[in-house]
Amino acid sequence: MDQATSANSQTATAASARISRHKALDRLYHWLMAICIFTLMATAFLPIIGIKFEWLDIHWMTGVALTVLVIFHIVRAIGWQDWRNMWIGFADLRDLWRNVAHLLGARKTPPLPGKYDAAQKLYHLGVAIVVLAVVGSGLLMLLKIDTPLWRRNPYLLSGDTWGIIYVVHGMGAMTIVAIVIIHLYFTLMPDSWYLLRAMIRGSISRKEYLQHHDTARWKA
Amino acid sequence: MELFRYSRSIYGGSNQLIGANWDLLPVFVGAAILFIILHALLSARAKRRQHGSP
Repeated sequence: MDQATSANSQTATAASARISRHKALDRLYHWLMAICIFTLMATAFLPIIGIKFEWLDIHWMTGVALTVLVIFHIVRAIGWQDWRNMWIGFADLRDLWRNVAHLLGARKTPPLPGKYDAAQKLYHLGVAIVVLAVVGSGLLMLLKIDTPLWRRNPYLLSGDTWGIIYVVHGMGAMTIVAIVIIHLYFTLMPDSWYLLRAMIRGSISRKEYLQHHDTARWKA
Repeated sequence: MELFRYSRSIYGGSNQLIGANWDLLPVFVGAAILFIILHALLSARAKRRQHGSP
């Protein structure tokens, strides 16, 4: 009995030693968004590089799914999450400068961030702008195809306007390819493995929290 | 390299903008790879310095 009590106590201590970073719903959102982005990239670019298949239906349906996910994320971020975690403030710009100074050798150690560092916040801002541009232009492009839900009406906009919409969609899509490559690089860096584990399990250890974060700026 | 793709109207007149030039895709991929190489080199150097190696 004493052993069991002791084991429970140890388990409780171990559990409290973990710091919650991402709730299950947010992790589900992240991985569903990843599936959508990879599906959209594959259906967009494989035919362009010569791998031909019926890509259009998969592409527009996944695009609609991504739109729903993005709307869900915006509503959740505003109503249920602390959006200030992603806000870029003066301290983040200062950290960004200090990070560059560290990389260039003018500073020995990088600054400790709050929950998200300055680069992650800038990355999020960039992704938000590009994904919103691609989703917005993609939704307009749905006017050009027949689906079970609506009939095509390509004459709603002029040819020049369609040209601009296609440019926004195409440039945005190619930017997303670059962004995804950079995201994978940072995810697979050994220093960031604890963040990848957090995006799977939801939490980080107290040791990782103390090692990588400024506890005054992220009060866990 | 052209940034955009154009088509000529069947009724004549000026070229019609129809989208981004897909030949730019390797440029975007190359820029990402260049960023990664640069960051990897600089962070490896910074880490050596941080841990006191020459």
